[in-house]
Amino acid sequence: MSEENRVRESEQNPAFRVALGNAAGALLFPVIAIVISFIIGAIIVFVTGDNPVSAYAALLEGAVGSPAAIGRTVLNATPLVFTGLAVAVAFRAGLFNIGGEGQFFIGAITAAWLGYSLSSLGFGAIPVVLAGCLVTGFLWGAIPGVLKAYFGAHEVITTIMLNVIAINLAYYLAQNPLRREGPIPGTETIDAAARIPLIGFGLGRANWGILIALLAAAFVYVFLWRTRRGFELRAVGLSPGAANYAGMSLGVNTMLALAIGGSLAALGGAVEILGVYGNMDVPFVANVGFNGIGVALLGRNHPVGVVLGALLFGGLASGAQQMQFATDVPLQLASVLLAVILLLVTATKLVELIVGKRARALAAGTRLERGLGA
Amino acid sequence: MEDFLGSLTPLLQSTIRNATPLVFAALGGLFSERSGVVNIGLEGLMLISAFAGVVGSYASGSAFVGLLTALGAGLTFALIHALMCVTFEADQIISGTAINLLALGGTGFLMVEIFGSGGTSPRVEGFQSIAIPGLSAIPLIGPALFDQSLLVYLMYLMVPIVFFVVFNTPFGLRLRGTGEVPEAVDTAGVSVTRMRYYGVAMSGLLSALGGAYLSMGILSAFTENMTQGRGFIALAALIFGRWNPIGAAGAALFFGFALAVTFQVNQEAVPIEFIQMLPYILTIVALVGFGGRAIAPAAIGKPYRKE
Amino acid sequence: MAHSGAGTTGAAPVVLEMRHITKTFGENRANDDVSLRLRRGEILGMLGENGAGKSTLMKILYGLYKPNAGQIFVDGEEVEIHDPKDAVGRGIGMVHQHFTLIPPLTVAENIVLGAEPRRGLSLDLEKAVRDTEALCERYGLRVDPRARVADLSVGVQQRVEILKALYRQARILVLDEPTAVLTPQETEDLFAVLRELVADGLSIILITHKLGELLGVSDEITIIRDGRVVDTVDATKTNEGELARLMVGREVLLRVEKTATKVGEPRLVAEDLVVLSSTGTEAVRGVSLEVRAGEILGIAGVDGNGQTELVEALAGTRRAESGRVFLDGEDVTSLGANDRQERGLAYVPEDRARKGLVQDFALYENNALKTYDEPPFSRGFFIFPRVMRRRAAENLKAYDVRPADPDARASSLSGGNQQKAILARELSGDPGVIVAYQPTRGVDVGAIEYIHRRLLDQRAEGKAILLISLELEEVRSLSDRILVMYAGNMAGEVGPEATDEQLGLLMAGRGERSA
Repeated sequence: MSEENRVRESEQNPAFRVALGNAAGALLFPVIAIVISFIIGAIIVFVTGDNPVSAYAALLEGAVGSPAAIGRTVLNATPLVFTGLAVAVAFRAGLFNIGGEGQFFIGAITAAWLGYSLSSLGFGAIPVVLAGCLVTGFLWGAIPGVLKAYFGAHEVITTIMLNVIAINLAYYLAQNPLRREGPIPGTETIDAAARIPLIGFGLGRANWGILIALLAAAFVYVFLWRTRRGFELRAVGLSPGAANYAGMSLGVNTMLALAIGGSLAALGGAVEILGVYGNMDVPFVANVGFNGIGVALLGRNHPVGVVLGALLFGGLASGAQQMQFATDVPLQLASVLLAVILLLVTATKLVELIVGKRARALAAGTRLERGLGA
Repeated sequence: MEDFLGSLTPLLQSTIRNATPLVFAALGGLFSERSGVVNIGLEGLMLISAFAGVVGSYASGSAFVGLLTALGAGLTFALIHALMCVTFEADQIISGTAINLLALGGTGFLMVEIFGSGGTSPRVEGFQSIAIPGLSAIPLIGPALFDQSLLVYLMYLMVPIVFFVVFNTPFGLRLRGTGEVPEAVDTAGVSVTRMRYYGVAMSGLLSALGGAYLSMGILSAFTENMTQGRGFIALAALIFGRWNPIGAAGAALFFGFALAVTFQVNQEAVPIEFIQMLPYILTIVALVGFGGRAIAPAAIGKPYRKE
Repeated sequence: MAHSGAGTTGAAPVVLEMRHITKTFGENRANDDVSLRLRRGEILGMLGENGAGKSTLMKILYGLYKPNAGQIFVDGEEVEIHDPKDAVGRGIGMVHQHFTLIPPLTVAENIVLGAEPRRGLSLDLEKAVRDTEALCERYGLRVDPRARVADLSVGVQQRVEILKALYRQARILVLDEPTAVLTPQETEDLFAVLRELVADGLSIILITHKLGELLGVSDEITIIRDGRVVDTVDATKTNEGELARLMVGREVLLRVEKTATKVGEPRLVAEDLVVLSSTGTEAVRGVSLEVRAGEILGIAGVDGNGQTELVEALAGTRRAESGRVFLDGEDVTSLGANDRQERGLAYVPEDRARKGLVQDFALYENNALKTYDEPPFSRGFFIFPRVMRRRAAENLKAYDVRPADPDARASSLSGGNQQKAILARELSGDPGVIVAYQPTRGVDVGAIEYIHRRLLDQRAEGKAILLISLELEEVRSLSDRILVMYAGNMAGEVGPEATDEQLGLLMAGRGERSA
């Protein structure tokens, strides 16, 4: 009888029920992580002799308090969307892509090289540069895929190793064949005409790279849920046994997921070069790739969630500057908050303590249970 | 030839100095991973303890007090990792990444709070080199191996000690069992949770020795992000050494040698970046060589649940 | 054997008593007021179907689960068992169905783990080896203490598990489905060891769902059904029929109505198929078979004799080392699973949880798991979830899957409904050939009957069906012909009227090839 009721209820409006349940479940882990993180942050601020309320007020103001603040937030969020997507696509295929940092550098150095070489093409250089970065990112991302598919080398280890290799490779190129004249190490600067234009509207240095980021997110959504390959990728990620039984290739999908992840992160590096810096200095921006992991998990590896997560991370970073300026709380507090969020966002048992057993069922988008040995 | 011999001693000395933090952290990672908890947070554990050591030494004027604060900080951060991974069943990779970012952000934050600005801390009391009478007089290798700080000698001792603990004690048997088949350890009446806490705690303490050596053995000051990826090299050494203390220490020594070479060799000949890539490339090659998966502890990365 | 039946044990003291044990998981009562009693020197059989609650009861005894109500007495004294340590302290040892051994460690290391002999700070490995040798000698168990567990056969690994318990001075030994992984010969060896142990004063609880085995080895048999004790009977005064009736609650296992069909051309043919297992050993050694239109060909055999590899090679998810596979006359040996499916091969896998369904996919996605790349579900690169949903809704209704909600996650369905969902997917495409591997494993009686009926419907429609099952009764009641698989080969072919003995001999590899 109760089962009949349940069946009838679900027949009334299945799509709505599922959507509602998913949304509530999806928000649970991130919200708990964010709230606890901010509480810890408040305690830290208090203990170090400042007023948490004014610090957080300044943080909020710096993140969204003015067009310029919003522009900074968008600017900070843009690369994180890409590196977050890079993690999310691999995650959906059951893989941990810790290599976003290196893939980001691969894209950045490719863009610095191609962008400068093709400066004469002006605006028309941009699509060519981006395409080039997609290719190098794809190839770089495919390396751990091949190592995993054919040699059984775990992608977490190999992507960590490849991060350092990529960064060193990029720095070598930036300081040797691509080095500009002058004392500061780095590549030549790309002509303004061949760079991604600013948005304007008082948004400061925010550029149209965010549009490319949103397009990338839309692409990932369509790819995962509306294409054959995306279907395979998700099946492989959720159940390699069932995917193999259904005739899907684990190896091909593994390689593809990591390679596409590489492309996305590399695109982030390219947009950063073309939209913000115009060249690669040594050292170049750090931790965009690692923060992408937090962005992806906070967004539960869904493209919409990734965009929201990136905006949150971006907002924290830009708000932190205002906070330091207004209240003397060091801006590194933002990094601490982000780290704590990342620390907590997969803590299944912690969420279970707060909301009870159903936490386990809601943890689906935050865990890969296979471990490193398997 | 004379030139070569002349440069050998400083090269060896530099090798030992570069290898020491790697050996400590790799041995630390070994305890954690042998218990079944992946620890990619070695970098962060070293960084926070390098900082805490400097703060302790700065406040007290004593390097030994600094060492204690370093150990305390390493232990605390390791226990956070254990709390997340073992008790809260968080993802171990994610938790480790978060530990790294937390240490980086946290030390940056505290640099400003304590020393007023980022960058480099004031100079503090560090560990001076102590020449061991007799041994340090051995030609070529004597000054390199036996005119070092106390922490280096501790590192020499630590390798056989860790080997003994892991392979010749009941604790080590249980630790290895926990990383392979936690169910077996559990049904034998040994707490998996406790073993994993021990394992991760050891990784904090040993990484702390590595961190303390960086900031008080080599430099006598803290600079932001001074670990510069050494935690990841230690992780590579651990894998390259197949989760064996002797192997890991050997790999760490080799990687230390590679780092030493980067500071000694004529930079025109081999670009520094390529030498810095070497440990990582070798580790990947090694992983491919031994088929990747069969070597790691079988239960590594998986939270243990009873039901 | 010196020891036999209730005569000698009747007077022996009770060493273990569990009284009124109740354990619930959510709304499910896994154990409902269960009581049992074990006497010294006795082998108590515990019989029940999968999911009847046997393992739950034993996990309570071993401190792995906490009961909601009930008491446990050891040697007449009430005890509280909070964890395995308490259980071990009370002399209770357990050999789990899935071994808890550490493969890279040696036998001796595995045995002493948690109770290690020490010499100063260090582990006294020599003493561990000596202690293990002494135990082996005492109970006549042949194991090399210095061997790595990873290098041992399953039967020997089980002995190591028993030694682990004995090393901890277990006086009460619980074995959970010990024969599930053993060959008939290994099973005999195991029972000989058990007899040796009770002769030495140990008491044993033997859990199984195989009736025949218990009669030969146990003194008393307690039957559990749906979490309750149905009866406890004297093993010398009962028979398989009575046990079966008590276990399943029906007089006989279901007999299905089978109509005569016209057997036609061979539709699925294997020729000299050789297939390697995942560890690289030859699991299938030159099997040839043909399944014709309108017939069900059954393959019986003990688990692990190459069935899985054979099925996977036929379905195309595993490469055949040599030999050929034909589907309706076409050589499909070099084709993958996807291509064979498109040519009309349906395949119901043995492991619905890990192979048959993507548990976290919605039912509509699972319904399209093999046809997601074909029209109308797909065109070009794209897929059309709405079409998938609509088709799934029809399908689920037609196969009586509850709930018939295409958006429900597979994991939210009961085992029987999951299996029906797989059947709905596999049979809805009107396949010509059906490979069904353990199609009713672990599902309820209602679903079993339903699935059997569907398979017979397909037979009547002229489909060729290959049924591989570990349940003899299932193979016998559905098949037109039965092949028995043993050690990677077909040990022989018999008709469905074959006796248990005939089949048993073939399954043990001791049969002559009969026609």
